[in-house]
Amino acid sequence: MIQIQFFSLIRMLLKQDATEITWAEGDTVQSVLEKTQAEIATPFLHKLLDEKGKPYTGTIILVNRKNILHLQDLQTPVADEDVLAFFPPGAGG
Amino acid sequence: MDKGWKGQLLRVDLTAGTCKTEALNEKWAKTYLGGRGLASKYLCEEISPEVDPMSPENKLIMATGPLTGTYGAANGRYMVITKSPLTGTIASSNSGGYFPSELKYAGFDMIIFEGKSAHPVYLQIRDGKAELIGAVHLWGKSTNETEDAILSEFHGDAKIACIGPAGEIGVHFSCIINDKHRAAGRSGVGMVMGSKNLKAVAVRGTGGVKVANPKAYRDAALEAYGMLKENPVTGEGLGALGTPVLLNIMNQSGGLPTRNAQTGTFEGAEAISGETLASSYLKRNKSCMGCIISCGRVTKLSDSRYEGDGEGPEYETLWAIGAACGISDLAAITKANYICNEAGMDTITAGSTIGCAMELFEKGLVSEEEIGMSLNFGDAENMVKLMEMTAKGEGFGKKIGLGSYRLADSYGVPELSMSVKKLEFPAYDARAVQGMGLEYATSNRGACHVRGYLISPEILGLPEKLDPAETEGKAGWLKIFQDFTAVVDSAGVCLFTTFGIGVPQFTKFCNAANGTSMSDEELLEAGDRIYNLERVFNLKAGIDPSQDKLPKRMIEEPLPDGPSKGEVCKLDQMLPDYYQVRGWGKDGIPTEEKLQSLGLA
Repeated sequence: MIQIQFFSLIRMLLKQDATEITWAEGDTVQSVLEKTQAEIATPFLHKLLDEKGKPYTGTIILVNRKNILHLQDLQTPVADEDVLAFFPPGAGG
Repeated sequence: MDKGWKGQLLRVDLTAGTCKTEALNEKWAKTYLGGRGLASKYLCEEISPEVDPMSPENKLIMATGPLTGTYGAANGRYMVITKSPLTGTIASSNSGGYFPSELKYAGFDMIIFEGKSAHPVYLQIRDGKAELIGAVHLWGKSTNETEDAILSEFHGDAKIACIGPAGEIGVHFSCIINDKHRAAGRSGVGMVMGSKNLKAVAVRGTGGVKVANPKAYRDAALEAYGMLKENPVTGEGLGALGTPVLLNIMNQSGGLPTRNAQTGTFEGAEAISGETLASSYLKRNKSCMGCIISCGRVTKLSDSRYEGDGEGPEYETLWAIGAACGISDLAAITKANYICNEAGMDTITAGSTIGCAMELFEKGLVSEEEIGMSLNFGDAENMVKLMEMTAKGEGFGKKIGLGSYRLADSYGVPELSMSVKKLEFPAYDARAVQGMGLEYATSNRGACHVRGYLISPEILGLPEKLDPAETEGKAGWLKIFQDFTAVVDSAGVCLFTTFGIGVPQFTKFCNAANGTSMSDEELLEAGDRIYNLERVFNLKAGIDPSQDKLPKRMIEEPLPDGPSKGEVCKLDQMLPDYYQVRGWGKDGIPTEEKLQSLGLA
């Protein structure tokens, strides 16, 4: 199983902080995002991705705590038992 | 003048008890913009950098910017500029709320306080007229009590900045609170105010702020409002979750300094996160003057052990009083935040210093007998007790009131203070975010996040994503961020607007308000000028480049956990680049040529 963690506005939108998705050979961040949305009644990808399906400037998607922008972006491979964290653009200080 | 700037300042001689109005130096205003820059210029001209910060010879300047009190972004900031008793550096501490704009509406760009009153006083300003009022009856009162008393005896619509008991008794990190909940927080500016027997400044103003080119200003404002509204951070995220949204982000990124920075992740992060705060004690969000971001957190405790209401905790507070102390009790953190606000103490240094004391205790360097109780990491109840003792100057709280450097140094282990130039670093571990390490080391007021917030590109990906583990190129990014931040602070605008708008928008605002025709490059050069001015002050104050360093823990102790496990901060790889990018010598001292190019020689 793949562990999915929701943060910030997505958590508030979905009213849940985590879920699990069944892993399949060849899974990438892109496919996991799509599978996650398909299994959850409330659409949430619009908080992470633009109309072209690319992460907004400021979207943070982590695979095992590593930002996918320093891996292979949405094509980053996902292994069984991996932990993915989704943050819509956010800031403070 | 009356073009952005009001064109006059108020000079208050506390020794003589006089208040005099004088014209603002127009040439300096154009060269140093206002706020942080212009007040720093006045300070450099009027005091010796070697002055004892607690002496009457030190001055305290409250300064607005030319955009303070206007509309368009979040144009309601002021800065307190003085020589810091905590760090010995030039201090510029920044706050929002409504007090800053009211000062402009009353007719003043800034107030310069000099000397020392023989007895407690506060300053009343009403539409251009000012007088000092006895404040013996206010001495010892909390910031909330002080504001309520002045509203009652002066004017119900007045806006007030004041110190709490901490500033009176010499807590080195005491701050100046305005509008009850906003803080000019860092560097101990409240201690300087207290040393002058100045309890508060109360302002009632019914004027306005004129701009040189109203149409161009309106166009700039419409553009900025649109960009801020469209931006997911400024248009939605900060309003919904406030700054605490960062808690989970930094913890997931492995850069949340925990238990006095012994680790970079905190197992209790979720319990003190912005998401948890939003679903528990948060009652609503709140704006400062003219702001559409609305990041303020209005909270009320509902807990059997603690009671109270107020604003906060913000992210830095959740970290300092929480993760830095190993505490995951949100009610206790919120209560300690209220104690800090009402006493007038900087939550970052307060929490970080207690975290340092916890490590001293666990290492056996300070005893239970001396503290008067045990002080293990994670002990929320005793943390709250110690915060109260600090606010009152009681027992071991007196030592906490010195800040972490003086505390740790008194036990022979200054390296256990997570500080630079005696200012505690905020909620980002330099081993996980290399550029922030460079920022901490080089910031003109010590380890500070709001002088060059490289977390924005390194972690948040704004305006673009940089690899936090990379050192190359960080010096150039930092210089731009530091210079731009100096511009934002000097203009009188909230730094959070820069998540949504950039240099071009600030150039349009400043030109339209001030009647200038600066280019983007010239505006950034003003920031460079301000940064170098502060640097030169610090050098003359004896803060030499050897203090551009980090605690040994950041340099020699690899992070034991998280995605940056095994990393240290590679400051030595970045600092030479930084000096070069700044146009300074290899020794970290601005060259004569550089200073001449900025008109500082």
